[in-house]
Parts: sequence; structure tokens; C-alpha cells
Amino acid sequence: MPMRILTAVLRTIRNSPRLAIGLAILLVMVLIAVLSPLIVKGIGGSTDPLELAAYERWLVPGPGHLLGTDQFGRDVLAMVVSALSVSLQIGAIAGVISTVVGVVVAFVAGYKGGWIDGILSTFTGILLVIPTFPLLIALSAYAKNVSLFQVGVMISIFSWPFAAKTIRSQVLSLRSRPYVDLARVTKARDLEIITTELLPNLLPFIGVGFASSALGAIFGLVGLEVIGLGPGGVIDLGQIIFTAISTGALTLGAWPMFVVPIALLTLLFAALNMVNIGLEEVYNPRLRGVAGE
Amino acid sequence: MKSELELRGVQQRFHARGVASGYITAVDDVSFTLAAKPPQVVSLVGQSGSGKSTIARNVLGLQKPTAGSVLYGGKDIFKLSRAEYDAYRRDVQPVFQDPYAIFNPFYRVDRVLWKALKKFGLTKSRSKGLELIEESLRAVRLEPENVLGRYPHQLSGGQRQRIMLARVHMLRPSFIIADEPVSMLDAQVRKHFLDILLDFQREHAMTTLFITHDLSTVYYLGGEVMVINKGQIVERGPVSTVMHEPSHPYTKLLLDSIPQPDPDARWTSRISVDELEERADAKAAPAPEAPIL
Repeated sequence: MPMRILTAVLRTIRNSPRLAIGLAILLVMVLIAVLSPLIVKGIGGSTDPLELAAYERWLVPGPGHLLGTDQFGRDVLAMVVSALSVSLQIGAIAGVISTVVGVVVAFVAGYKGGWIDGILSTFTGILLVIPTFPLLIALSAYAKNVSLFQVGVMISIFSWPFAAKTIRSQVLSLRSRPYVDLARVTKARDLEIITTELLPNLLPFIGVGFASSALGAIFGLVGLEVIGLGPGGVIDLGQIIFTAISTGALTLGAWPMFVVPIALLTLLFAALNMVNIGLEEVYNPRLRGVAGE
Repeated sequence: MKSELELRGVQQRFHARGVASGYITAVDDVSFTLAAKPPQVVSLVGQSGSGKSTIARNVLGLQKPTAGSVLYGGKDIFKLSRAEYDAYRRDVQPVFQDPYAIFNPFYRVDRVLWKALKKFGLTKSRSKGLELIEESLRAVRLEPENVLGRYPHQLSGGQRQRIMLARVHMLRPSFIIADEPVSMLDAQVRKHFLDILLDFQREHAMTTLFITHDLSTVYYLGGEVMVINKGQIVERGPVSTVMHEPSHPYTKLLLDSIPQPDPDARWTSRISVDELEERADAKAAPAPEAPIL
């Protein structure tokens, strides 16, 4: 079974260059994020480049500091690297939470049907139409000194309904397939049918759900940071952009503070979307450009 | 054990919009008994939408009838104890219509057979299991090496449908509920399939409920036949009697709707379906419509 999934994944990747490129970019970013403590150490040598007044303030990009320093004398390259790791973390936290919640809700609603489906779908629908961002602003204004994890949870409250909605409709169409009936006359229980008959066929949809919630969370946090309402104690890409704007870094020649985080976010956005589109292309025959399998 | 499958006043309604009464009656007060001894073939004939498949789903316990009951060994199949339920599942097995949708595309075709072995506790040892599977595949005239380890899309419709027969052969149920099993097979494979069913009846004492819209297969199988129209059984009896001296106008309509394979007997006369159906309706006992809602 694990081998089966692995070969299926490899075959999928081979069939879609878009998916392959997207995954490659993501992989590089994740690697940088995972290795960020080492990279930061390498940049700073004996001093911590993220320490206040580690270097002189507002140094322009040069050999010593590839991206210059900020208003407190911190190395911008080191800041960007560790901020990337924070942004990816928030994406992973919110992505996992909203995917798990979305999948559970979708399977319960879609498979059980009836009044359970009615209640869950109505609730999902209500959450979907609530304007998310103003609520997030209100929430973070109330919650001072929230941790990264708490922000992740807050963001996922609003992002799971998207995943739930799309997966539920797939469950609805899959649960009346003859192979589900066959499993039932072979004495399979509901949970077994869901996990072994339905879930494997829904992996691409779950992947798409995860990618879009992760993306939503990263940009949600950037949005909060840009207006100055983020979790305390951590620097993410949005916060660097916020500092660059509020200190007028561009006028001081410290353009990398503004440009580099935005470029990274754009690249991340492009990569995740390529994965999304790639997955859809592979599993939705109508979108297939060339004849696939 | 005295095993007998009995339908007693089974009625199945579905909610439907745009119908004056708010529901449609797919199966209307159907009663019949299938005896395991002596093994027999009972055909259920009717046009699309006449309620044939719904009866199959009722008998298989996939759909709980709105009224009436399905009895196995004298007990309602939806109120069986655990041991009785196991016996019922083992004893009543289906062959479904669509040989394509019956396999989960995610798995190899062997899984259907292994699952049946495992769930019904036929054997614990893997080598014995493989032996049983190969024996059953040969019984339906398939070469194990040609089908084992393959994915559903790599096999033809006839091969797939025979794998379902191999599954039945392995489980040796007293009753096979075959819901249009040959409607998607070509003529040659069809005869092959019917011969295997007749073999099962002779050699393994299996009783088949053969559901079809095709009178020529009914004729080939022989045995008893029941004609269903608009959810009601309008005529029943031995195949030879019903085919040669149909007493109900609907049966006559069905028989008239088959073109004669005779070059001199051109199929020129127009059959007015409406008129014949009206006559059939008029003759059918006016069922008292007692709305339950």
C-alpha cells in the first residue's frame, strides 16, 4: 500500500512538468527553511546577525551584507531566511489543521448524508461567506502576544470550509459507486469503506485543499503583519515588508528589505499554484492538455 | 440450515421533486420467494425504470424498503443478529451490472478476491488463499496469470465480469443476485457468462435471481420468470409458458418489441407503445394509492 501510493505519486509527477517544477521550488524553499538556523549562523559567524545592533544601521547591500542591514543593524539576508521559515511554518500549521478538519467534516457530511449533512453543510456555508480578514484583524487586536501556533489555528478556522466543500462533493459522487456497494456486501464497515475505498481516490483533492489553505494562511499572516497586527516575537516575511514600509527603507537605499520578501512570496505563490493546477490537470481529464495515461 | 429468501410486500419510494405526490414508487408491493433447494434460476424482466435494480438493492440489504420486508431464513434482514448477518452476507452475493465501475481503480483486481477471502474467513494462510483464488478463476475459465496483479483498466469487460463470478464461486453463496450482469457484454461473452451461471446452479447448487431487460437471455436460461412493470410483478411462471402464451398485455408488448431474426419477417409494423401501455395499465389491477405521508 505505501509502495502503491509512492509509485502513483511518482507517475503523477512524471506526467505533469508543472507539478514537477512547483514541487521542486517548494522543496528548495523548505530546505532553506529547515536549514535556516545553520544559514543564519553561517552569515553571522561569531555574532548573531539577528541581534539588535549586531552591525551598523542601514548598510547598503555589499559584499559583507548581501542584502544590507535594517534600522536596528540586523542582517537582512539572515532575517529573510528565518522569516521564510516562519512563513512556511504558519502555512504548514494552518494547512494541516484545515485539511484535517475539512476532510473529517467532508467525509462525515458526504458519507452519512441526511440531516447530519444538512447541518454540517449549512455551517460550512455560513463560514464560507463570512468576510475573513476583518474578523482576523478583530481577533488579533484582542489577542495580544499570541504565538505562531495560535495564529495558525485562528487562520484555519476560516480556511477549512473551502477544503470541506470541495471534498464533500467528491465524496457524494464516490459513495454511490458500485465498488462501495461491493465493499458493503463484503462486510466492510463505514470507516473501512471511507479509509480504503474513498480516501485513496480523493488524495489529489486533499492535496489541492492543503495547498490552498497553506497559501491562504501565509498570505493571511502577511496581511496582518503589513498592518502591524501579527504574533509577537517572530519575524515573518510580512513583518519585514511592514518594517520596510514604515521606516521608508526604499528611500534609504535598503530596497532588498522590500523587494526580496515580496519576490519570495510571489515565488511561493507561483509554486503552490503550479502544484494545484498540476494536480488538477492530472486528475481531471477534461483539463489535460495532452493525452495522459 | 433452511435458507430461503423471501420478499413480503416490499415497497420502495423515493422522494422526487416535480411529482404531484412528492415521491415516486419504484417498487410497489412485490412479494416472491427464492428457494435454495432445489437450485433454480429465476429471472426478473422489465424495462428500464421498472424497479428491477431497486429490488436487487433491497434483497442485498443495500437499501431498506419503505414498507414490507426482506426475509432470510424467515427473519428480516435488517434485524439480524451478528451471526445471522454473517450467514446472510455469505449466502447472498451479487454480480452487478457495470464491470467497469465495480472495481476501485486504485487497486489491483486481486484485491476483490483477497478481501472476500479475508472478510468471510475462508482461509488464514496465504498459499491456501492463492490456491482457492486460482481454482475459482479457472472455474470461470480465466487464466490466473492473465488477470492476477493487473489493474482494472488493463482487463476487458468480460474478464472483469468473470472475476466477479470467480468471487461468487469462491464464496459459494446459496443465492446469486445478478443485476443485469450481461447487459454490458458482447454476445459471445454473454453466452459464456450465462453458461457459467448455469454451471454454478448444477454443480454448486446456487440459486440465481437474474435481473434483465433482455428476453433472449431469459429464454436461454430457462427456469422461472417474473415480469415487472412500474414496480409491480404483472406475470410469473415458467419461461416457456410466459414466452409462448403471455397473459398480461405488458408481457405481450415486451415480446412484440423484439425484432425477429428472420429476413422475411421485416419489422415494419409500428408498435404504438403508448396505446399498448395504456391497455397494460387498464388491465393491471388498479392498485389503491394510499399515501403514507
